[in-house]
Order: sequence, then structure tokens, then C-alpha cells
Amino acid sequence: MAGTGAGYDLSVTTFSPDGRVFQVEYAGKAVENSGTTLAICCKDGVVFAAEKFLLSKMLVHGTAKRIFPVHRRAGMSIAGMVADARQIVSRARSEATQFMNAYCEEIPPELLAERLGLFMHAYTLYWSVRPFGCTALLGCVDEETKKPSLFCIEPNGMVYKYTATAEGKGKQAAKTEIEKVLANNPELTCEQALMLVAKIIHKVHDEKDKDFELEISWICPASNYEHAQVPVEQRKAAEAEAERILEAEQEDD
Amino acid sequence: MAAVEEPQDYLDVLQSHRGGFSFENCKRNAYLASQVAIKPPTAMKSGTTICGIQLKDVVILAADTRSTCGPMVADKNCEKLHFIAKNVYCAGAGTAADLQHTTEMMESQMELLRMATGTQPRVCTVVRRLSSMLFKYQGYVGCALVLGGVDVTGPHLFQIYPHGSTDKLPFTSMGSGSLAAMAILEAEYNENLSVEEGKKLVAKAIRAGIFNDLGSGSNVDVCVITKDVGGTILRNFEKPNERKFRAKHAAFPIGTTPIMKQEITKLVSVEEDVVMRD
Amino acid sequence: MMDFMAQRPVGQEFVRHVEDGCPYRADDVMKPEQAVSTGTTLVVAEFDGGVVMCADTRTSTGQYCANRASRKISKVHDRIFVCRSGSAADTQALTSFVLHYLGQHAVELGKQPTVNTAANLFKIMAYNNKDHLLAGLIVAGYDDKKGGQIYSIPLGGTRVRVPYAADGSGSGYIKGFMDANYRPGMSKAECLEFVQKATALAISRDGSSGGMVRSLVITKDKVEEAVIEGNKLPVDL
Repeated sequence: MAGTGAGYDLSVTTFSPDGRVFQVEYAGKAVENSGTTLAICCKDGVVFAAEKFLLSKMLVHGTAKRIFPVHRRAGMSIAGMVADARQIVSRARSEATQFMNAYCEEIPPELLAERLGLFMHAYTLYWSVRPFGCTALLGCVDEETKKPSLFCIEPNGMVYKYTATAEGKGKQAAKTEIEKVLANNPELTCEQALMLVAKIIHKVHDEKDKDFELEISWICPASNYEHAQVPVEQRKAAEAEAERILEAEQEDD
Repeated sequence: MAAVEEPQDYLDVLQSHRGGFSFENCKRNAYLASQVAIKPPTAMKSGTTICGIQLKDVVILAADTRSTCGPMVADKNCEKLHFIAKNVYCAGAGTAADLQHTTEMMESQMELLRMATGTQPRVCTVVRRLSSMLFKYQGYVGCALVLGGVDVTGPHLFQIYPHGSTDKLPFTSMGSGSLAAMAILEAEYNENLSVEEGKKLVAKAIRAGIFNDLGSGSNVDVCVITKDVGGTILRNFEKPNERKFRAKHAAFPIGTTPIMKQEITKLVSVEEDVVMRD
Repeated sequence: MMDFMAQRPVGQEFVRHVEDGCPYRADDVMKPEQAVSTGTTLVVAEFDGGVVMCADTRTSTGQYCANRASRKISKVHDRIFVCRSGSAADTQALTSFVLHYLGQHAVELGKQPTVNTAANLFKIMAYNNKDHLLAGLIVAGYDDKKGGQIYSIPLGGTRVRVPYAADGSGSGYIKGFMDANYRPGMSKAECLEFVQKATALAISRDGSSGGMVRSLVITKDKVEEAVIEGNKLPVDL
């Protein structure tokens, strides 16, 4: 019975005497160890960004992704164990297609998020399974109204709707940065956000960690309101600009 | 993944609700009957006249009392009005066994429902239960029903076909004598009739069935369902076919037939040859 | 076993054993009872701002009219209705299933469901169970996304959006009339008159259609029901 839980941390089906389920809380810890990911609901769409650590110099660029398409107008970025998250992505895709098949309509973002919440919650109820060690940021743009929306689905099954949020190692710093950005420019567009997002991820990156690759995708007019990777040239330009500004800021200090 | 069992498709739920029925044997029996000259067993079906009318705040049902088995009358005074709940009754035509089971099942379901909810069952509840059951059996449960009742929402009259289709009507008739009965109802029904007039009308409609349809006969049963009293069955409300002249069969006195000759012949000869042994 | 089942379609056994016009006298429990069917005329058309649905009111069992004032237009949601033809039991069951699923969907959605969705649910059910069903449906209604819409779902379970549709046994008599007289962008009154006239014409030629002409006008704001009695039909007989 090592550790703090006195045995209460061994199963998701047992509460501790003070009413906590430790395994679910530990799943939250798995999320906090991961590289930062963030998503912003802009005026005209959603931007996702993820800091992907390069585990090997020989890893092929653009593989082992952390941002996934869910359906044509929805994407999902992951903080935590990506292997776990793939179950959620696959569930999200099947929910979306099933809804489409039954009702001939795209699934409303709220509903998709809520269903994924139920799915993740179900894994906190049974002795024989373990909770998901990841948090998903689900971003959608409505088919008709083109209204963007963003949800955060946590390992305990809770679903929150955000205008912008961040998860992972640098989530606190990243959230503060995003708040500043949105305070200065509430009418931010996705194109404008690109550089700012790159800047935030670079800024919150811990030098002690391994090198990282920046993953950015969006759902906005530039991608014809479909979930797509930001074109490489555009991403590199944004990243270069971000690094230039960051260096300038550091020199000022 | 194995731990969380959820339906993969929301329509799977629907499929599971429908339940699994196999009509393979029905098809096989029909095939065998058509190929070989075997006549499958038949059940008692009542060629029937039943009808019902809905008035301002009362529903009246009526039925004849002949039950047939092929060309033969199986019961001259059977009951075709069935109790379902205090405020819901139904008249049935079709396969007698199916009718009896179906109405008894419905009666117990409604009683359980009443005890569970503490309220009087509604007519529409009975209709939905019956129609889903009949639809499920795809017409193989031969129940044609005229269902009437009074609940919190007022008086209601329905007709339900063996395949599970339902109609809500102000007046209706079913069974083999339905054509004759309908002729009367079409001519004389009016929603402003009084209860007494209503009773006379349904009785007249059933009488038309009794006299003009071969499958219907004997007496008229009537059931009046009101809000306050619930249903009351007026058994043999009319007896248009009473035997007027019952043959009086007095026994003939002994000696009516004279004895002309008496002769007793022994058909068996008994030999008394008993051997005693020690 | 499978061979003879393939040779003998299921549908045949439905009617063969029953004497004409006398559905409850066949003393054979091994066979199902005769089905009640809506030998029908259904006419539906789009106009500027909504749809008009029309149906006769005759329901028949063989040669006998089981109900002379039936409602073949059923509600599935506030602004979505369905015209039913074929087996009464099948279409009623189908409608109540869709009513249930669409109701759940609407609650989940938190707003009015679309006609498209309703039609799709009908299609799924009709297609998946096509071997067991005899159902021709026209789903019509109004929603804020696409306005007035009509979807025709004939026997096999296909779904097509159409500007106007006719279905049921009486539809054959009036398809030409409708092709000749339907115009897109009619006013409500014009469209109602057109649809009622078409239904009345079908009633006058089709034996399985008859009774009254029930009509339903569905617009953004309201649903209006009307009835033309059988002796006041807009045709010279």
C-alpha cells in the first residue's frame, strides 16, 4: 500500500473516505505531463495548435500527430496519452457519421461533445477498465451558421465550452497569454491568430524538454470551413515571425 | 472497449424493441398445407356482429351471442363483450381463443397499470397496447375489436384490426354482420342521442346482423360505459330468438303400448359343473 | 427448405384464403387475417412559403369500406406531417416509431427538427424493413432551414425530394393533371385549390378512394386543416 491513497487509489470503483476517486485524478495528471495544446474560437473559425515533442531525430516530420479530423467541420486536439485519445477520436467519428446517417444532418457540436463526455465518463465507472489519460479539445464550425465552437472534454467525463483554452504542461502560461491576446483583439480572425498561437506555443515551451514540432490546424474561410492542416509555408512563416518577435521581446527585457 | 456495451446504432435500439419473431414455421405450414392434401386444424371463430357508438359522455357497445364452428353453432348464448377495466370494455370478433387470451391479457395489464400508477387506465393506453401487440404478430392473432371506454379525457370509441391498425370513430361495427349493422348505424346514428335511444340503436344494429348474417344469431348483449358508473353489461338485453313453443314432452303412461306376446329366450346356457377339490 | 420459400413470395398468402368481402369467416387460424389497406389518393404540393397536403378519407378491407372518414395525414412533429398509403397497420406503426424517434431527436437538439431528418427516419425504417412492410409515404412540412419541403418515400424505401407528389391507388388518374397544372411559386390559395381539385378528380375515378377531401396547409406560422365533404367536391361528376 505504498503512496498516499492507502489502497483507495487502486480502483475507479472505490471512493476514498473523503469522497475522491483517485484513479480519475491520476488520469488528469497524465494530461498535465503532456506537451501543451491549445485551441481558440476566433471570429471566423477555430484554430488548434499542439506542441509535439520530437522523441527521435529520425522521426518523420508530420507524423505521430496530436490533432485529428473528426468530420468535415470538426477537429480535435489532444493533451495526454495520444494512444488513448485515438479511441476517443474514433468514437467521435462514428458518432458523427451515425448521426448523419440517421438524421441526414451534421451532428450539433454540443451534442457531439456531450456524447464524448458520456463515453469518457463510462470509463470511470467500471472496475475492469481504466480512465482515459487524455483531455480532448473539440472544435467545430456549424454547417449553416458558420459559428465556431470549442469544447474541452476531460478524463472524468466533464465537458466545458470555451472561447479558448489550453491543456498540457504549459496550460497556465498559455491561458494567460491567450487571455491577453483576446483582451487586445476580441475580433481576432484565424489568419491573425496563426502567428499569435505559434508565439504562445514557442513561449511556453520549456527549454529543458526535448525539441518540438509545432502542429497547427484550423477550420476557417481559408480552409473553406473544413478542418485542415495550416499549409506548411504559412505555418513556417508564422513560426518564423513568432520567433523573431519573441527574440525581440527577450532582448527588451 | 468490451466493458461498455452500448448499441452501435440508435436504430439498433429500435430493432431490439421490436423483438425477434420467426414466421418460418407459419410459412412452412402454409406450404405443407398447399402441397399435400392435409387440412390443418381449425379453431373456433365467431362469425359475429359487434358494434359501438360514442355519444356525448357515454359509450355503448353491443354484440350478438352466436359462436360458430364452421357451419355449426357452437354456443347459442356466448359472451362477446369483454371486461378490460372498470371504464374500458371491448367487443371482439375473430378467433375465439385469440380474443379470450388477448382481452384477458389486456385486463391484467391494465389492472397492474392501475395499481402501479394509482389512476384509471386511459382508453388510448389500451389501444396502443393492443395495436402494438397485434402488429407484432403480423395478423396471426385474429382479433378484430371494437373498443370503448370513458376516461379523464372523455368518451372514446376505437376499432382495431387484426394487423394492428386502429381508427377512432363516433360509431362503428365489425365482424361478418358488420355490413348489416353499419346500415342501421349509418341511417340512425346521431351524437345527440340519449343513453336509452343509444341502447335501442345498437340493439337494432345487432338485430340486423342477427337476422341477416348467417354467422350471427341468438341474443343481443349491450354494454353501457359512463363516467360515473363505469361499464355495465346488460346481458341478453334483447332476446329476439326465444323459443316460443317448447315441446312439452309428457311421459307416456305405462301400458300405452299393449303387450301382445311375451317370450323369453335364453341366449347363454349356464353349465353348473362344479368340481370340489380339497 | 429455402427452395420453396424462394418460390413462394410471402405476400401471396395474405389474401388467397379469405373469401371476398367477408374477412372474418375464413375458419383457418394458420393464416393471418386480411390486411386493412388504405387504397388511397394522396396529393401534396409546395407553394411559396409552405406546403399543402391532401388526402381522401376511405379505408378499405377488400371490398368493404372500413372507415369512411379516416385521417391519412398524420402528425410527426409541430410542422412535419406524413401522408400514409398501403397497409394501415404498417404505416401507423411506422409513423408511431418515427414520432417517437423524432421526438427524442428534437429534445436532444433543443430545437425544431427538419423535414429532411423526419423523411430520413421514415426512409431508414421503410428501407430496412421493406420485406415486411407495405407502405408508401409522403413526408412534408416546413422548417427554417429549407422552408416547405416534400419527400416522397415509395414502396422500396427510396427517398426523393419533389416539388409535388401524388401517391396511392388514385394517383395514376391524376399524374398528368398535376404535371400540366402545377407551377412553382403558386399562392397558398391557388395551391390549395389545385391540390384539392386533383384529389377530387382521383376520387371520382378511383374506386378505392372516396369519402371526403381532407387538406392541410403548413406554413411557417401555422397549420390549417380543412375538409371538403363528399357531396361538395370541386368536380362535375
